[in-house]
Amino acid sequence: MPLRAARIGRVGVVGAPVARAAVVGAAIRPGPAPVAKAAVVGAAITPGRRRRI
Amino acid sequence: MTDYELDALGPVDFLVVEFPPGEANFRGEIAQELVNLAEAGTIRVIDAIVLVKDEAGVVDAMELSDAGDLGGLVEIESQLAELLAADDVEHLAAAMQPGSVAGVLVYENLWAAPFAAAARSAGGQLIAGGRIPIQAIIASIEADAALETTGA
Repeated sequence: MPLRAARIGRVGVVGAPVARAAVVGAAIRPGPAPVAKAAVVGAAITPGRRRRI
Repeated sequence: MTDYELDALGPVDFLVVEFPPGEANFRGEIAQELVNLAEAGTIRVIDAIVLVKDEAGVVDAMELSDAGDLGGLVEIESQLAELLAADDVEHLAAAMQPGSVAGVLVYENLWAAPFAAAARSAGGQLIAGGRIPIQAIIASIEADAALETTGA
């Protein structure tokens, strides 16, 4: 089905072709310990974690 | 839209959620979570369309209302602003793999609007923003862990 006529001829709001992002699931699934990897991400955003400079 | 309304407008983002061939498994969870976010006042859905890219790369776009049973999305669909133009379709579909279907969502981050208005009122101006990929977070944490292991 086509888009509604109101969309035709209007100025677009997405200025350029959208680049494909890395798939998040692919970052977590591979590897010998996917659960541990997910836990690593959780640890990164745990309140109280401090940066080391 | 008045100046006040523009000033109170939260950041507007878009998402393209792709469903690769044979992996679509719609059970209503996505619609329900979207309704939950809208009802909680976290986001306001501005526009939503469905894109289909065939194996040859030809893109077809359809309105959400033409995508079948909307379930809990009926009210959201009735309030869409149809911001996306036909010209946007090819740009958005550029990220899709051939043979896939994707949902495109344009939404206002209502949660951010009061903070943004307060920052502007205080003389601040947004000069940068972005999303940190999960992959980058994993890499950072793993590098930290490696440092702790080696003591370097």
